[in-house]
This record gives sequence, structure tokens and C-alpha cells, in this order.
Amino acid sequence: MLRLEPRIAGAQVDIGMGERLNKLSAKFRNGSGDANRARLIPVGGGKGGVGKSFIVANLAASLARMGHRIIAVDADLEGANLHTCMGISKPRASLADFVAQREEDLGKLILDTPIPNLQLIAATDGNLGTPQPSQSRRVRLMRELRELDAEFVFLDLGAGTHAAVMDYFMVGDDGVIVITPEPTSVENAYGFIRAAFYRRLRLAMASHDMRKVVTIAMDQRNERGIRTPLELLREIQLLDAAEGGRFVETMGAFRPRLIINDVRSADDIKLGFSIQSVCRKFFGIQAEYLGYVNHDESARRSVRAMRPLIDVYPRSDASIYISRIARKLLGDGAGGQLREGSV
Amino acid sequence: MKPLSDQNHYEILETHPGATRDEIERAYRLALSTYTDDSLAGYSVFAEGDAAAVRERIEAAYRVLSDSRSRGEYDAKLAAEREEDLPAAEPSAPLVPADPAKSEGLPMGEFVQLDDGTGDFDGERLRHFRIRGGMEIEDIARVTKISPTYLRFIEEERFADLPDSVYVRGFVTAYANCVGLDGKEVAASYMKRYDKGRGERRKPRFFDSR
Repeated sequence: MLRLEPRIAGAQVDIGMGERLNKLSAKFRNGSGDANRARLIPVGGGKGGVGKSFIVANLAASLARMGHRIIAVDADLEGANLHTCMGISKPRASLADFVAQREEDLGKLILDTPIPNLQLIAATDGNLGTPQPSQSRRVRLMRELRELDAEFVFLDLGAGTHAAVMDYFMVGDDGVIVITPEPTSVENAYGFIRAAFYRRLRLAMASHDMRKVVTIAMDQRNERGIRTPLELLREIQLLDAAEGGRFVETMGAFRPRLIINDVRSADDIKLGFSIQSVCRKFFGIQAEYLGYVNHDESARRSVRAMRPLIDVYPRSDASIYISRIARKLLGDGAGGQLREGSV
Repeated sequence: MKPLSDQNHYEILETHPGATRDEIERAYRLALSTYTDDSLAGYSVFAEGDAAAVRERIEAAYRVLSDSRSRGEYDAKLAAEREEDLPAAEPSAPLVPADPAKSEGLPMGEFVQLDDGTGDFDGERLRHFRIRGGMEIEDIARVTKISPTYLRFIEEERFADLPDSVYVRGFVTAYANCVGLDGKEVAASYMKRYDKGRGERRKPRFFDSR
């Protein structure tokens, strides 16, 4: 027998706030053509240690070197280290001040870095008891992020699929997922994609009943046996055609972008295409393979030197690949994704 | 966004109808490497048999597309299907019952006259209407994609064996629409019975006979 009620007890709590979040993120996404607004690029990946901060620091530095005004924001309040990758050992201000409501103006937390055009909001000195902002604070934070005076705002997300992480990912224009060619990372990346999609989907559903069905599907051991978004789509189409339409729309708009980091072989490069294929065939989700960064000893040396690789070893292989991805981000909308055969 | 079963050979290989031979070849090799049983990209997503099922489709697609003659024939067939699809305006046309007069779906007023009483839309009345439409349980299952077992439970009002009300409401609505009734009205009536029935049978029954 199905007994669904207890499982979803906690899930309905945030729907009111969720709707606000959703409206906000929809507004942001739609407004991405607004020239005065920063393009917000969240970088996540589920697993820790895959190089999210490294990628953020270097993409940011690469675009800054091309003359674009960039702010990189460390949104990992529980494992802040973006500042270290960018050459600042002891940030004098932190996002934690905003979270704790000691500072209301996000702009005052911006720090200059040694690289021209590149600024940072660090995330050090968080409250160890309650590091994450409350949801209302999160909504405020995301609005403020959009108002930052820059062309690109990168968000370095923490590991895992905590609600706060997913909200940051969702509010951006083009969420990027960093993956390394190892089973643990790939597995977590799928978990991350699913979590992000379901979260966005639940907010897109108009009826309470269909939100409930999505919530049931989010429990990966759900009794309906719904494993993938495609299976959930079939279920929802059956129950409510209008919601099915909204589902398809949400699915079409959700385009996570993939970067494969620490690539050592041609097979590793192909992994991006394969994940793209699995996402399409099993989830119905159109992921975009943005590019890869090869394994490079100089990358490790740059982290040791506490400077972006692009800055210390601009001619290294990894620097060249990172710049390639950065240029893709710039020329976006015009077929930014890698095509098989171009590698 | 199409499920695997609806994808054509090009979609299976994730290439396009204008692809060169070389592109087809590359797409095929990539697809094969993606859908091995222990593929790094897939092992955490595939259930047993998933990868093999995709591989089968990949091989079938490649057999057709790698040969210029069979590919030509296949392209012609795809083009013909597209033509056919155009005038067929009914996206999810309900199953046409044996009697063409009923294929339109009877308006509610008429049904009430045909039916021997007013009152709830219970399982029995649903069944009655299905049979009048000349439909088997399996016919309804095919159209609605609801399992025949659940459809039977709905007719037999085995509320305790049915899933959560969110689903049952959808099932009953689809069933009713399929037999030409107003799904919303039928579901409202049926769900009252369901809620009442479930309320009375909350106690677990270990030897519930099937």
C-alpha cells in the first residue's frame, strides 16, 4: 500500500517562499538580455574537490584579462576557499556578514584582487552553528547579486545538494556543473542535475497535487518507482495535461552546462558527450557540454602559489582550455556547446 | 524529450538527417561507448537491462543508416510519416468505441437518461458505461496508459488496494474521459466514495484476499 503523507511532510513548508523564489529566478532568467544587469553564472557539481573554485577563479580571471568586469562570489559558506585561489589570504569582509545581517549592502563586501577587473566576495568567518542564510535572506541575497556592478558574476557553490545550493544554482542564467572523470563525481553530478531540475519543476507546477507528485519523485526510493524525470513526465501527463505542458516547458528551459575537469585521455573528453547523451535519453534534459580542462601539473602549482593559473601560467595547456571555455561563455547563445568531432 | 521508444534512428544516434557517413560512424562509436553496461557516464543511472536495450536500438539504427540504400529508404519512410502526421489533428484521440454514435462521447444529460439512476458515480456505473461503449479494460488501459489492474480496482472499488488519492483522481478522470463522461464531475463523485472507503479501512489487513 502506498502511504505517502509522512514522506512529504517537510516538503510543503517552503512552497510559499518557493513561489517567490521561482518568480524571482524566472524574472532573472528572462531578464538576462538586459544589458545593465550582470550575467549570473553559478558553478556547482555535487561533489567536493572536483575543482569548482579552481574553475571559477580561472574563468573569472580569464574574462577579466579580456577586459570584462567580473565579480566572483564564494557562496560556499561552509568551505570557503575561493579567496585563496585568487590571492587573498585574509579577506577583511565576507558574505557571512550579509548572512548574519551585519551588513545590508552586498556591494560593501566586494574586495579588489591582484588582477585588474576582477573582484571578489569571500565567504570566510561564517557562523559555524548556522552557516546558511534563512530562505528570506537567500531571496534577498539573490536579488542583490543581480544588482552587482559587473558584467559577469560567478557563484562558487558548495558541495552537495542543500536547498541553499540549489537555489543559487537555479537563479543563475547558465548553471555550470563541474565533473571529473571518476565515478563518484559523475554519480553526484547526476544527483545534482536531478535535484536542480526537480526543484525548479516543483515550483513550476501550478497545482498543489502535482507539486506533491514531484515531491514524491524526489524521494529516490519512491514507491511509484519513478526513477527519472522522463518517467515523472509520463506520470504527470497522465494525471493532468496542463501541468504536463508546464513540465515540458520547464524541461526545455533547463539547460545545465557541463565542464569536465582534470581530463587525461580522449575517453575522458568523450565523457562529456556521453553524459549529455544519458541526460537526454534517460532524463529528457538537454545538457550542454561547454568544454574540458586537461590535467596539468601547473594547475596544482598555481593553487600552491595561491594565484589563478591563468595569471601565473597563461601559456599552460589548462590555461588555454579555460580561456576557450571563457570565450564560449562570452559568445553564448550562438551555439556555445561543443560538438562531437570538434575535439 | 521523447522517450526512447519514440526516437527515430537519427535521434537514437544523436545525429541529424544531414549527417555525413563519417558523422554517422563517429556518432555510432560514441553511442556504443556510452551505453556499455559499466559505462562511467551511465552505470549510476542505468537499471538492469537499460544499457542493453539502448545498445540494441543503436545497432539497429546503425545497420540502417550506415548503408546508403537502406538509409535512403528509411529517409523516404520518415518523410512519408511526417506527411501523414500533418492532417492528423487529434493528438491523443480517444479510442473509438464499436458504435460510431458513441465515439463523440455522450453528453452528461443523455447519460443520466440512459442510466437507471442518479446518485454517485461508483465503480459499477463506470463499468456499465464502459461496456456500453464496447470497451474492454485493456482498451482503456491502452488509451490512458493506466495499468489494467488499477482500472479493475477502480471498478471494483477496492479502495485499499488503490494508490494515494492524487493518483486515483487522475486515473478516474482519465477513465471517465475515455468512456465519454465528464472526467471532472465523475472524479468528484467517485473520490467522495474513495475517501469514505479509505477512512473506514485504515486498519491494516494482513490477509487481504486478492
